[in-house]
Amino acid sequence: MNCGYGEKLILYFYGEAGEGLKAGVEDHLAGCAACRGELAALKAAEGRLSARASMPSAAAVEAVMRAARAAVSRGSIFSYWGEALLCGALSSLMIAGFIFSGRGAPADLAWNSGVDSGLDSVEYSIYQAQSDMASVSTDWEYNCSALEDESLRLAKRLGAKA
Amino acid sequence: MPEELSDSELIAAFKGGDAEALGLLMERHKAAVYGYLLSLTGRPDAADDLFQEVFLKLVKNPSAYGEREKLKAWLFTVARNAAMDHFRRQGSRGEVSLDGDGERPGPADFAASPDPGPEEAALNKALGKKLDDALALLSPEQREVFFLRHYSGLSFKEIAGMLSVPIGTVLARMSRAAALLRKELGKDLAG
Repeated sequence: MNCGYGEKLILYFYGEAGEGLKAGVEDHLAGCAACRGELAALKAAEGRLSARASMPSAAAVEAVMRAARAAVSRGSIFSYWGEALLCGALSSLMIAGFIFSGRGAPADLAWNSGVDSGLDSVEYSIYQAQSDMASVSTDWEYNCSALEDESLRLAKRLGAKA
Repeated sequence: MPEELSDSELIAAFKGGDAEALGLLMERHKAAVYGYLLSLTGRPDAADDLFQEVFLKLVKNPSAYGEREKLKAWLFTVARNAAMDHFRRQGSRGEVSLDGDGERPGPADFAASPDPGPEEAALNKALGKKLDDALALLSPEQREVFFLRHYSGLSFKEIAGMLSVPIGTVLARMSRAAALLRKELGKDLAG
């Protein structure tokens, strides 16, 4: 489908389209069989998931409740900060130990050289940049639609006051 | 305890020593969180374990939930991370379709209610199978946003924040998922 309504259709179906966008999608739907097909597919898939609603086992729920009652009776919720402080102090001691021990990574291990992780970072950055670029236009449209709705709401309010 | 208390109020009550407040919270969110985990893993036993993991995290450290965010968003973030850890431990995504894969049963075989809902009654069996197959064809990223939206009911903006991606990425994944579903279901869909 290359009518350009893909993301707009998603916002429309899930009730996140503002008034302006909603009207635009409804106009478009009248003449686009592919978009009508996508709406029907989404509706069917959502219905399928809803029909398969299920619950956790009673044993799982009871296990959580037992832990909750135990935590309350032990008062462990209140000692949490004490434990966190103790962990923090121990971690600081360990870090200080590493810093002052003067031990570096063995030179013969290639994966310790940082080259590998450096390449991973570059690859990840490229992927991230590509993803961001692809999203910019949709973000812009989404924000435009929100602004359009806001201006419509303001116009309506001003009209009502007049 | 009144059930209409907000999530934050129930957390505060739990912190104050009321274990039943945690029970009410779990009751409120269990179907959504469990459904999400079951759809991701395809295994009721794994979903049960992960479900416990999510709520035990809240029990052990209720302060981990920042009160400025929605509890639901926090629960689904923890659930997603727990599922990712599960997949890492398993070495693969390991999902099975809703009806199982022949050897392993699927979530459909463990549906809690023997009485089908109105939506299911409207879908014929053949289409149901086709839908399960089509959903299984979605990429992990598409499935992730599709299931998150269905079970959490969070807005796309909130989902984008949760996944640390732009909203355009979330919408693009959803749109590609919808296109794939339409292609797979084709003429089986009415209308």
